[in-house]
This record gives sequence, structure tokens and C-alpha cells, in this order.
Amino acid sequence: MITLESIWTLLQAGFIQRAFIISIIIAILCSVLSIFIVLKRVSLIGDGLAHTAFGGLALGYFIQGIFVAFFSQYVPWLIAGVIVVLGSIGITKAMRSTKISGDAAVAVFLQLGLAIGITLLSLTRVGIRIESLLFGSILLVSFEQILVALVIAVITISIILLFFKELVYVTFDETQARASGIRTWFYDYLISVLAGIVVIVSIPIVGVLLISALLVLPALTSIQFTKSFRQTVILSPIVGLATVVLGVLFSVVFDVAPGGMIVLTGLAIFAVVLLAKRIQESAKK
Amino acid sequence: MQPKPLVELQDVSVRYANGVLALDRITLDVNQKDLLALLGPNGAGKSTLLKVILGLVKPTSGIIKLFGSTDLAKNLKSVGYVPQSAQARDTNLPFSVFETVLLGRTRHAGLLHRMGTHDRKKVEEVLKMFGLYELKDRKIGQLSGGQTQRVFLAKAMVSEPKLLLLDEPTSGVDPASKHDFYGILERLNKESDIAVILSSHDISAITKLATRVLCINRSQFFCGLNEDFSATAELPKVYDHPVEVLEHDHP
Repeated sequence: MITLESIWTLLQAGFIQRAFIISIIIAILCSVLSIFIVLKRVSLIGDGLAHTAFGGLALGYFIQGIFVAFFSQYVPWLIAGVIVVLGSIGITKAMRSTKISGDAAVAVFLQLGLAIGITLLSLTRVGIRIESLLFGSILLVSFEQILVALVIAVITISIILLFFKELVYVTFDETQARASGIRTWFYDYLISVLAGIVVIVSIPIVGVLLISALLVLPALTSIQFTKSFRQTVILSPIVGLATVVLGVLFSVVFDVAPGGMIVLTGLAIFAVVLLAKRIQESAKK
Repeated sequence: MQPKPLVELQDVSVRYANGVLALDRITLDVNQKDLLALLGPNGAGKSTLLKVILGLVKPTSGIIKLFGSTDLAKNLKSVGYVPQSAQARDTNLPFSVFETVLLGRTRHAGLLHRMGTHDRKKVEEVLKMFGLYELKDRKIGQLSGGQTQRVFLAKAMVSEPKLLLLDEPTSGVDPASKHDFYGILERLNKESDIAVILSSHDISAITKLATRVLCINRSQFFCGLNEDFSATAELPKVYDHPVEVLEHDHP
């Protein structure tokens, strides 16, 4: 274990500070979306989209491997972005279909993305560290990545605010929202596409395998105590922020992989909240 | 001039994708101030009929008009709906009573507009009217069945509807709460111009409230004024079973 002095020195390093900044941006973004994802009971969508993004990134790197001279390093991410948006539309269409259950629809896209990803990466000539895609590489985040994440966060949160009351109604009860004349299909696709975009910008932090945790845990933890939607909207980003900031800090202190530590921290907060709720309920009886 | 019916159904049939005929040539008019009791056994198509009026289920054939127009979506703003499953909510759902009722104002606020002070005042008025004001900060999942039903009725009413559709609103609710619920409904129907379509198995109670009765079991068995309806004559045909209606002390 490293000393307090060396931790302080590490915290002053640019790469650690960039890691904290992008963590905060992604935490707020994922926490806000997680409210709609958890309450709409589509928590697995994050996994489906992350694996679709993995397939998209593999396709991007594969194409980059063929046309290496013409491609910038961002092209694979742009290709993955397009693929994940198309995937999110596909998943939502399948989930809304009465012919296939929601979890089966997600499973199909998840396996498809993973299979394409593994196959294409094995054929790709560009050297990629597959671990950085699967588990994230938050300590290698560049200033440009922070800027992109910030712009996407501002756009995503603005869209959510613009359609906030309709999104809340659709999240509360889709049938009742439809019965009041709201075009619920539009909001289902909107949440899914926004989640897909957030997945793409979040992969550098926690990677493909753990991203769905950030899209579930903040809201799941918050709703254990909140009595209103308003409280949930306030508490969920606080839980998300605490998860990533503490997770990155612990990863520095214990010198372990940040992605795994962020998710473990989130799970630990969730466990503590569940325990506290249980104690509170027992005290009331 | 005779005012147009709020709801007009002409020979409406619904056949689901699996081939099941859910409704067979239903014809119905609902006018202002009508309180229509929708009766029939489980699986008779009562919920489907309400969903057809709301545009949630597309008919296979027939014509549906809401406030004189076949464009149902255009007029849904003036319809309040309490679904059958309204009570079966996740107890963890983080919505307060106030927030739940406020959802009823969503269409009134308009797309891209936030809910304003007027919407919040309207919610407070309705909460007071339904005796729910003291519970406004309570989580919806922590309410009793009867309280939850009142919240959903309040949510439907806050949208200032001209037509109220209630799908078995008192199923699973204790007798005292049912009594209160029917009392509120009777008051609403008498004191305002709201038309109500109420589906229920509580035949004795709702035929006391209703001005008109529609009996269906996929096809239409009876549609007419309450005073022309004889439960003992019509219901055995609809239920395909002997039916005895027991009188009890509802409003």
C-alpha cells in the first residue's frame, strides 16, 4: 500500500485529475439516466448497449486496420457511436414487440455485439489492448475525451430537461401515459438512444463489462430511501458522484484497476443503504 | 340542437393477432352526464372496450368517435382514465401523492413547457376535494388500496376531463373504501357535466349509480337506460350462468 504523501503527489498528477473530472461528468450523466432505466425496469439495456458498442468499436478498429493511413484515432469511436445508436433503436424495437420478451431482446443484441467484437478484433491489424475496452482505462483519458464527454453531458441533460415531464409520466406508467395521448414510443427510443450515447462516452472509465453498473446502481440505491421523484433526481447524482470519486480514490490508494473499484464502491454503498433500510424498518416494527 | 355524443361506437369489433375475438360489433353512444355501467364476466372484453375508446387497442372494424372526431389522440386531453392495474404498484416507486396527481396535468402544460403554478394549484384543489391533501407528501406505494384508488381518481380528475373511464376501480379495495369511492363518483357525476364509463363486477352498487347500462360478453347483450335494465333477466344471459344480485349498502 502506498503512503499518504505519495497519494497526495499522485492526486496532483494531471492524469489523475483528468480521471476525476471525467468520472464526475460520467457519474452525473449515468445517474440521471439510471432513474429512467431502473424505474422503467429496463436495467439490462445498459449491458446490451455496452456489448453492442464493443462490436461497433471492433468494427471501427477493423476498418481502421484496413485503411490505417486515412483514419484518425477517433474514427472507431464514431463508428461505434453510429452502431450503438442503431443498436439502441433495434433493442427498443424488439423490447416493444409483443413477440419477444424484453430480456430476450437484450440478450440477442448482447451476444451479437460480443460475437462480432471478438471475431473482428481477432482479425484486426491495429494493436488494441482489448482489456482497455473491456475494463476501461480511466487513467489514460485525454483532455479531448473530457471535452467530448462534457459536450455530450450538456446535450443529453438538456434533452432530458426539455422532455422531462413526458419522460417522468412514461416512466411512471406507460399505459396511463399513452391513454393521456403521449406518444410513449418516442420516449422509449429517446431513453434508449441517450443511454447508447452515454455508454460510448463511458467505456473509457469502466469499460464494456461494468458500464451497466453505472446505469443502474445510482438510482437503485437512491430509491431505497426516497419518497418522491424529486428526491430521487437529487439523490441519484449524489450517489453516482460518491461512487466514482471514492472508487477512483480507492483505486489510487490500493493501486488496483479503477473500473472494478468504482463498481465495487457502488455495490458497497448499495449494500450499506439496504442494511440501513432494513435496520430502519425493524426499528419501526 | 341535440349535442353530439362524447363517445360513439358503431359496430366495433376487435380480433387479436392470436385470432381471439375480443369484441363483436359493439354499438354505443355516451352522452354528457351519462354514468354508464359496463357489466360482463371476466374476459368479456370490458377492458378492451375502454382501451378501444382510448385508442390503445385498434379495432379490426367499426367506427369510433371521441367528441365527434375519429382522431382519438387529439381529444385524449379531455379524457381521464383509471386502469384496472392502478393499485398494483411497486411499493418502491418513488412518487409522492402530489407528484402522481400532477402527472394528470402533463398534457395541459403542453410539450416543451414546464408545469406551472396554475398546475400545482389545481393539484392542491383536487387533493383537498378528495381528502388527500394531508397525504400529499406520502409515497404512493405506502397507501392503502382505497387511498390509492382515490389518488388515481384525483389524477384523472385533475386533467379536467369531460369523460372519465374507470376500469374495475374498486377491485381489491375494502368495503368501506368502496363505499367512499362510489360516493365521490356519484357526487362528481351529479355536480359536474362529466360522463363516466365504469366497468365493475360490483353489480348491485354500480347499477344504483348508473344512468345507463351496457352488458357485454364479447358481443353486446344489453345497452339502454338503467330503469329498463333487469339484472335478473339480463345477467344470466351475459354470464351464461344463473346470477343472483345481492343488495348491499352502497350509495
